[in-house]
Amino acid sequence: MHKSSIIRYTFIILSALSLACCNSRPTTVPTTFAESNDSVVIYPDYRDITIPPNIAPLNFMVVDESASEFVVKMGDLVCGATADGKLDIDTTAWRSLLTQYTGKDLEVHIYAHRPSGWIHPQPLRWHVAEEPIDSFLSYRLIEPGYELYRQLGLYQRNLTNFTENVIYENNREYDEENNHCVNCHNYQNYSTDHMLFHVRASHGGTIIIDGNEAHKIAIKHDSIISAGVYPSWHPTQPLIAFSTNFTGQVFHMFHPEKIEVLDMSSDLLLYDVEHNSVRHIVRSSDALETFPCWSPDGRRLYYCSARCQQSMADSTNINIVMRYDSLYYDIYSMSFDPVTREFGEPRLEVNASAMHKSTSVPRISPDGRYLLFALGNYGQFHIWHKSADLWVKSLSPTPDLSQQGGEKADALSANEKEAQSLHAETDKALYPLTEANSPEADSYHTWSSNGRWIVFASRREDAAYSRAFIAYFDREGHAHRAFMLPQRDPEHNIRLLKSYNVPELTRNAVKISTSSLNHTVYHTDAEMAKYEE
Amino acid sequence: MKFKAFLQSHGARLSHALFFALAWWWASWWMGDFFRIAYENSFFATDATLMHSLWQKPYGSLWILGRAALTLYHWPLVGGLMVALLLTVGSWLVGYCLRLRPRWRWLQWLPAGLWMAWNAWLGFNVYFQYEPGRTLGVLLLVVAICAIDAFIIWTFKNKHHHAVQPAPVQIHLLAVLVIAAAVAVPSLITHLRHPYVRPVTRMQVQMLHDDWQGMVETAHKHAALSYRPLAAYYAIALVHTGRLAEDLFDIRMDYDSLYLVGRNKEANIGTDLYLIDCDYTAGLFRTAEHKAVEHLTMEGPTLFSLKHLTRLALLDYNWPLARKYLNIISAAPFESAFVDRYTPMLGSKEAVEADPEFALLRKGEPVVDAIETFFEPPTFLGYHAVNVKGRSQEALIYSVMTNLYSKRMPAFLERCSPFVGTTPPRLIAEGLVTQSVKNPAILQAFPQLQMMQQAYKGFLQNVSYAVKDRPTYARQLFDQYKGYYPYYYFFGNLKSTRKRDNKETGTSNAGVN
Repeated sequence: MHKSSIIRYTFIILSALSLACCNSRPTTVPTTFAESNDSVVIYPDYRDITIPPNIAPLNFMVVDESASEFVVKMGDLVCGATADGKLDIDTTAWRSLLTQYTGKDLEVHIYAHRPSGWIHPQPLRWHVAEEPIDSFLSYRLIEPGYELYRQLGLYQRNLTNFTENVIYENNREYDEENNHCVNCHNYQNYSTDHMLFHVRASHGGTIIIDGNEAHKIAIKHDSIISAGVYPSWHPTQPLIAFSTNFTGQVFHMFHPEKIEVLDMSSDLLLYDVEHNSVRHIVRSSDALETFPCWSPDGRRLYYCSARCQQSMADSTNINIVMRYDSLYYDIYSMSFDPVTREFGEPRLEVNASAMHKSTSVPRISPDGRYLLFALGNYGQFHIWHKSADLWVKSLSPTPDLSQQGGEKADALSANEKEAQSLHAETDKALYPLTEANSPEADSYHTWSSNGRWIVFASRREDAAYSRAFIAYFDREGHAHRAFMLPQRDPEHNIRLLKSYNVPELTRNAVKISTSSLNHTVYHTDAEMAKYEE
Repeated sequence: MKFKAFLQSHGARLSHALFFALAWWWASWWMGDFFRIAYENSFFATDATLMHSLWQKPYGSLWILGRAALTLYHWPLVGGLMVALLLTVGSWLVGYCLRLRPRWRWLQWLPAGLWMAWNAWLGFNVYFQYEPGRTLGVLLLVVAICAIDAFIIWTFKNKHHHAVQPAPVQIHLLAVLVIAAAVAVPSLITHLRHPYVRPVTRMQVQMLHDDWQGMVETAHKHAALSYRPLAAYYAIALVHTGRLAEDLFDIRMDYDSLYLVGRNKEANIGTDLYLIDCDYTAGLFRTAEHKAVEHLTMEGPTLFSLKHLTRLALLDYNWPLARKYLNIISAAPFESAFVDRYTPMLGSKEAVEADPEFALLRKGEPVVDAIETFFEPPTFLGYHAVNVKGRSQEALIYSVMTNLYSKRMPAFLERCSPFVGTTPPRLIAEGLVTQSVKNPAILQAFPQLQMMQQAYKGFLQNVSYAVKDRPTYARQLFDQYKGYYPYYYFFGNLKSTRKRDNKETGTSNAGVN
């Protein structure tokens, strides 16, 4: 065969193949259809939610095996989906749709083409809130693993579209000398001007970032249990509160929970960024303090603390492990004077141990009115506790709790009912965010800078892989139904074999480049922080 | 003369045909199971999310291509055919690109032989803690480079053909010898350096097909070999055939080195080759899940880990999680049989419990919670060695047999009381007999063992000369006493028979070697 013929035929075959791969999508609403009282199954579950006016398109997938085509109508916007039911909404059209419906309800009509013809199930309803969400969400992506880690990183997602950028990734190939883990990214007051994250194992240290500059520090002293762990930037001062924890993990062999992560000991530290010095905030042998969090005005520090029973404090780690389910963390706070940098006496904020419950991750709303935390049956590592739910304590005058009654009370999980009834007598300002919670672990939450949105990690999808969920927090102090972080491909969250870890909202994008961070991690030595007695 | 002339005119074609046939034999019969298991330890899909992390690695796209090619090993004959074709075409292209004269054409077979020898030399390291797409990716890359090179040469070469002097017959015979060596040497490397590779992968493939009796037969056929993975898969097969307490010690258990290198470049004991399968078979589902997720974390998704995680999610009645894994597996080509088998179980506890395999494995599941860390690793032995609460007769047998295997005789005796008044299984009876000389109460509880005690005393007399130097005589006595527990008690599972063992790392199984 002549050479030019070979090339010609190859081109024809490739063109035919590429044409065969193209799918067509219907783009008009069917004129004839049968009404159906059934509700349609979609993934992710975006039924009856409140969404930010600046969120990326809520692409979803209609699950109806008997249907071959789908048409979705939202306001004037009509989108088609192919047999796999996946919707890919045009971003520009979506943006104008949300602008049109800001502050209003939006009905989502789905038409499915079954062998018997088109059907029209009950529409979904979305309420488009007036308040936007902060545009950037950063998180760590990591396998929901146990002891080992491999490729992982910190990423930042633009919530107004589908762009995900790498903040920092560890070594992609296994490399004994360079193997390291990164965790606990944290920002000062919703801004990426000042942020930090930890590097563990090789090249270890805490990376402190100031705009486009980064440096590595090490917190290490005989008096300190470990390097800084859970951080909280002071909202205005160059100060970071850290917990310092001696942490271990154990694995169940026959238990609904899979993993227990336990602190054998823990204290609180205050790190001065400008002077690279560190001192203890709390140092105790009979209590485990962790998860520090500043109030928005920077005048109070909240934290969790568990009373270590005498027998436990004196015992070996094995005994602590054996009594993992009797460790109850309460929330305390201490006043802080930004001038003298002195702390006041601890004040009990949430007496969870009295309910035989345990708290973790206190976070104060930007207006200072609410203390949001996770409440579970025991311990502090609630991302692995099915019992963990989001709760709120009103720090201002008690909200109208009558709204928690009726239908909402019926929807309370057994855990919530038990805890609420126990607590009702003592503190009426404490309540679960029932609409946002799920039977699986809901934890590691963050507020938006306007206080109207919360983002948290939840394992509700499959009890294994945590996903970022967004919920509206209204002015009455109630959360609305949460929805999963939208992705361009709605199947992404099924196919992704990593968990979303420590979601944190910021107003702006991280400024420092990945290459600068790589340089800091790999090629600079950690500066040892001075310890002040 | 006629043959000579025929060979001169058709020698090149014949040598290609011969190489193709031998390469197909090597790639589908000799190493077919091995590459089939390499395929199970790999994962390929056209979905960007699933291949994202591999894509981003150095040479990621090449490894993805290698994994794509490996998927044909779902059917080893087809995979072998592909490899044989690639090797044959690649060899021809090497000859073409190097413009080898006919008398030097035998050289073209050497790169293919080297590729096969490289695979044989690596053994399990073709996929164990290393990228499984590497081996076929490299082959594809070389063939592609040669093909492009050949295309360029073909496009621009001088159109005026010069007459080529045919190679003498001796050169064709030399080519035959080189071809034979190119296939024989890799085969011998596998046989001599990694004699466990073929039987172990055969058993793993048989396990994929629930051919438990076949696994037993494979182990018996290679009973004189002594490697941990072989023993592990043999024990798994015995659990399924219900012959654990009768046949466990029918194969040698002294555990030679695997010549395995871990990802940290150090010699590895190879426990991770079979750990998940053992935990799963032992009914330690949480532990199996723990290890499977770690496998997923370290190696990325593989069919091996995803299939285990699917089954474990079903056993946990976690339908969304099982659905997730099935969704991912369904993105891989040729895995519809697995998906079709397990999809109907979603949402149905009854269907899960009715599955014969699940029902059997459930019998070994713990009845009370415990912390995995508190048991000696590997947990499937450590847990059952001390386990005193079980949900079934099978769980009792696992515990008793683990103690027999570990030679923890006081613990073994403690667990034998349920057998009083019955005829204990053979190995348990032999275990009791080994203790009856020191402990006469055993014979009072089990009077039917009197005859066995006589035989045991005879055994002790016969091997008295060997007891002083057990490592030396263990191998010699195996053929005579294989399957007899007293032999194992004195001569089996003797630790660290080679210096190399002391340097090996990996999940150690100290205490229950």
